Amino acid sequence: MIAAWYGITSFMLIGYVALDGRNFGAGMLHWLVARTRAERRQVVAAIGPLWSWHEVWLVAFGGTLFVAFPRLLSSAFAGYYLALFLILWCLVLRGMSLEVGRHIPDPLWSSFWDFVFVLSNCLLAILFGAAAGNVARGVPLDAHGQFSMAFFTDFRVTGQVGLLDWYTVSVAVFAVVLLAAHGATYLILKTEGPVHGRSRALAKLLWGAAAPLFLAITIESWLVRPDVPGRAIGNPFCWFGILVVVASILALVSGLATGRERRAFAASTFLLIGILATGAAAIFPEMLHSTLAPENSLTAYDVASSPTALWLASIWWPVALALTTGYFAFVSWHFAGKVGLERDDQGVY
Amino acid sequence: METVSDPAFWSRLQFGFTVTYHYLFPQLTMGLAWFLVYWKWRALRTSDPQYARAVRFWAKIFGLNFAVGVVTGIPMEFQFGTNWAGFSRHAGGVIGQTLAMEGMFAFFLESAFVGALIWGEKRLGPRAHFLAAVAVAVGSWLSAYFILVTNAFMQHPAGYRVEADGSLGIAALSDYLLNPWAWVQFAHNQMAAVVTGAFVVAAIGAFYALRSTHLVQARLYLRAGTLVGLIASLLVAFPTGDQQAKMVARHQPVTLAAMEGRFASGPMAGIAVIGQPNLAEKRLDNPIEIPGALSFLAYGTFASEVHGLDEYPEDVWPDNIELLYYAFHLMITLGTIFIVLMAVACFQSWRGRLESTPWLLWLLLLALPFPYIANTLGWMTAELGRQPWLIYGLFRTRDGYSQVVSNGNVVFTLIGFTGLYFVLGVLFLVLVGREIGLGPEEETA
Repeated sequence: MIAAWYGITSFMLIGYVALDGRNFGAGMLHWLVARTRAERRQVVAAIGPLWSWHEVWLVAFGGTLFVAFPRLLSSAFAGYYLALFLILWCLVLRGMSLEVGRHIPDPLWSSFWDFVFVLSNCLLAILFGAAAGNVARGVPLDAHGQFSMAFFTDFRVTGQVGLLDWYTVSVAVFAVVLLAAHGATYLILKTEGPVHGRSRALAKLLWGAAAPLFLAITIESWLVRPDVPGRAIGNPFCWFGILVVVASILALVSGLATGRERRAFAASTFLLIGILATGAAAIFPEMLHSTLAPENSLTAYDVASSPTALWLASIWWPVALALTTGYFAFVSWHFAGKVGLERDDQGVY
Repeated sequence: METVSDPAFWSRLQFGFTVTYHYLFPQLTMGLAWFLVYWKWRALRTSDPQYARAVRFWAKIFGLNFAVGVVTGIPMEFQFGTNWAGFSRHAGGVIGQTLAMEGMFAFFLESAFVGALIWGEKRLGPRAHFLAAVAVAVGSWLSAYFILVTNAFMQHPAGYRVEADGSLGIAALSDYLLNPWAWVQFAHNQMAAVVTGAFVVAAIGAFYALRSTHLVQARLYLRAGTLVGLIASLLVAFPTGDQQAKMVARHQPVTLAAMEGRFASGPMAGIAVIGQPNLAEKRLDNPIEIPGALSFLAYGTFASEVHGLDEYPEDVWPDNIELLYYAFHLMITLGTIFIVLMAVACFQSWRGRLESTPWLLWLLLLALPFPYIANTLGWMTAELGRQPWLIYGLFRTRDGYSQVVSNGNVVFTLIGFTGLYFVLGVLFLVLVGREIGLGPEEETA
């Protein structure tokens, strides 16, 4: 039961990254792919109507973590205090730039909000990347299962670590490149005209850069957490995740090479899902690793809610998921198709 | 809340500030959502184009409020963990249920359809667009219910048990979800949200009527706003507010005593119209009271004995009695004014003279901020009244904050929120002002 809820919680977080990741990526590339007002509006329109639908996945992840692993939530959120608020503020700024920027059709106004949009998306990619690195590396959990972490200490990955060290910074760099490549692949699918052309060129460049970084991060992770591979090798979910990663890479290469935009974007999405799922399966059952002493680490079994709470949630959660799948189908249908250069027919974006 | 060196003080201030600010936006969208549903339904049933025009205009106002509500709402859920780790650890086994349900059942529903409501009129066609409006309204009210169940648990815990490690766990989901406190509070709170929606709709109608622009739309907003405003203002007071007060009298008698500034017990307890609580002397200064009113409202007879603060040890008194007292009294005063104002406006509207009564239109326009203030005061009454408990009778506020987070960090984020939310507020007002200035589209005929 606890393992299943570990899977469900991971699913919610991975779902969030799979949905909002494209927005971070497209947002970071905003200035590179779009030069004129009309082109920039096109990029914003490719993201615009759906950002709040994507962002609530983060809230739903928080809720799922709360119901299944309340003690992890209290340790991790208090420990990541400042980092988490930086993420929240960037999310506020990102949402504002999308909503506020389009409301007044004035070039000065729009260019300011374009800047906020690019900046907040870059910071979000960096912060989420560093956060992923932190989960993989571990945090300085004490014997009470609590920690409080500085932004940086000595940039080493053991002992009293900080949010940023050589490993988490390199994961952040990888996340930026990976999400940018993903965003470019999304814009290929969603746009036409010059933005489409530039996104194609950028996607090839960025995926080219992501490949060696991916290899480097894999080796680094093995160095930072030598205890993980031995445990992961016996976990079938890890092998399944690796299979998804390999299949996605093949589909992505063929999709980009032959100009099959849907295939490329689906493959890119599944590549993100595969990487995160493999990571989540590999560290199971540890949810937060302690860099101070292994016995301080919090496993899913240490921090889970009572069996009654999990059992009750197991009744209503599938119902909610079924409903959500229905909304998902509606949203995908409603906002399907390419965004043109002209103002779209709703006259808003 | 004695001093700023109290480690819980800054987290309380930050949570109070961010949640108060956040709730300025959902209270309008929850009320406005049903106006959109109603007008959309009228647009379906009649061939009158003014209803569709009203929906298009108010959907823009709704969209701006919704967006600010989303971006200010996301930090709320995370602050349970960041600032109130002790509370999350202690009660997460119970309140996690509704916080997760809110995301899974309510936010997904709301956010999937809000885009379609605001931008999808052409693509969806009238019928599906109507359904999108219903989905958004239902989603926003569901979300309110889940949050109020969570709050009701903090006010009047139900459906829980104490686990082996001393933390609280869910025992009966139905008792937790159907907590009587939650139902009363939900009814009271939702009616208050409808009051905000109705006052805003009426105020914009009054604004256009006074400027002699968009007159057809202005009449529509005034008619709907004043009628709904009167009904909702009445329902806020009776039965929902009345039931809420009886609930407090039954389960939190010390809170009721503090709300009324009653230091001594006794029958024939009055309600102070004016008076300033004086904690040093333990009395109400300069009181003008309606004799027996509190006894009657709380317990049904004038002779009923109302408990005073003197019956309880001081360590269970709410820790900010002055603010609690004024929050409650100002809320009641405003609620009473709302009923009178809307009753007069409805009367004039019924006689067909509302648009030609400038002083009344001015009052309706100037009344716009007051439902926001009354809603905020109501929540201050509920939350200050709950002190010194985080979960009433079970868990104290001073045990709930995050011990690993230093005051320096909380002050830092509080300053950050203050700056960010100030900018956000200015932008919101500019943009909403601009939409109101542009106004609904004119008849093309």
